[in-house]
Amino acid sequence: MTAGAGAVPMDCFGLTDVGKVRELNEDQFVIASLRKSVRLRHTSLTDADLVARLAGVESYLFVVADGVGGRPGGELASTSAVSSLLEYLDQAVVAYHSLNTDQEHDFLARLEESVQAAHRRILEEYGAQGKGPATTLTMVTLTWPRAYLVHVGDSRAYYLRGGRLRQLTRDQTTGEYMVDAGAWTEEQAARAKVGANLISALGGSEMTPVVGLIDLEAGDVLLLCTDGLTKHVADPQIAAVLEAGGSAEAMCRELVQSALDAGGSDNVTVIVVKLGG
Amino acid sequence: MIQKKVCMVGLFGTGKTSLVQQFVHSIFSVKYHSTVGVKIDRKAVEVDGTSVTLVLWDLAGRDGTSDIPASYLRGSHAILFVVDGTRRESFDQLPELRELARAAAGEVPSLVALNKTDLTDQWILGQREEAALAAQGCHVLKTSAKTGAGVEEAFTWLARETARNGGKPA
Repeated sequence: MTAGAGAVPMDCFGLTDVGKVRELNEDQFVIASLRKSVRLRHTSLTDADLVARLAGVESYLFVVADGVGGRPGGELASTSAVSSLLEYLDQAVVAYHSLNTDQEHDFLARLEESVQAAHRRILEEYGAQGKGPATTLTMVTLTWPRAYLVHVGDSRAYYLRGGRLRQLTRDQTTGEYMVDAGAWTEEQAARAKVGANLISALGGSEMTPVVGLIDLEAGDVLLLCTDGLTKHVADPQIAAVLEAGGSAEAMCRELVQSALDAGGSDNVTVIVVKLGG
Repeated sequence: MIQKKVCMVGLFGTGKTSLVQQFVHSIFSVKYHSTVGVKIDRKAVEVDGTSVTLVLWDLAGRDGTSDIPASYLRGSHAILFVVDGTRRESFDQLPELRELARAAAGEVPSLVALNKTDLTDQWILGQREEAALAAQGCHVLKTSAKTGAGVEEAFTWLARETARNGGKPA
């Protein structure tokens, strides 16, 4: 999809694949635009800024979700989470387009609440106590140039700038937690069977969204992905694909193919957003 | 509900994220992770009978390749400058960071945290440095994100000052 993110052109694409081992694809992704409700048909107003603001797309939404493997109904959880998120945002979030501190904090609180609402819906629909279906969720809302991030689980968001790939999220896994606490080394975390277990997930017994933001620049490339990519494709290889250029669609296809070539042991989902053409 | 934006500002590795983690979640991570962009946390603080929600903007620290974007600082109600008491450069660059923050956020309450007091054998700041900060009108507190010493006091001081300031960024 080619569009404009405010002042810069944007090329974005999403792709998901069931992989080579799983029978079911439990991942979901969404690329959406958030529009204001006022659409001018005809006006005598001459305030060009106002007219442009009302007429244009204000924000873009990018979401990936990975139904938790090993639990029944992972695909139900990821589907429910993303559907709930979209419904909540449709009702509760008016596109946000200026860096006003109070409005920005309200906007961030609503984004976070949308994730909480999705978590509650999974618990209501598929069972309480956090033992039913669960899902990760990584969501970026782009209101140029600012990208707002809400993250739960071990799907990831990255951005590439000047050839350098930076991970915007941190995996909420047992391994990461134990390393942070000083109880395990990274090698122990990598070896441990429970190292990859999620300590935070929508529908899980714990759900702790992490909120952040970053101001993007023309030329940046944003990547959202599930762990079906990162368990097979290392960061330097991801960086090489994003840096090589080409369309967002071509990058998505190459990343997914790389994961499949390396074993494709899990569902794999990617969204690539190229900013600045 | 009163919400106050507080930006954490300092060089990389001074302990900004750890201070927030200690204050909000009462945890300390032994592993260092550099912050990318801004991480946002909230915590409500009771000051003088009023509940103030601090919205903590944990900014990526300044390093050799990137400076702190002014756009992150705009609209701040307060700034918490973090100095690593074991690293001279983090003290030496403080005046520059204060100037950057002042230009972006205006005259808002600020506090200088001299952090990592638990590392007593590596501590390099003395009375001379503290006197210099006092002479510049800085409110200074010694903190340890690891032990929690001074952490609650630092954020509560900022909450009280922002509440007193009327809740508007400059």
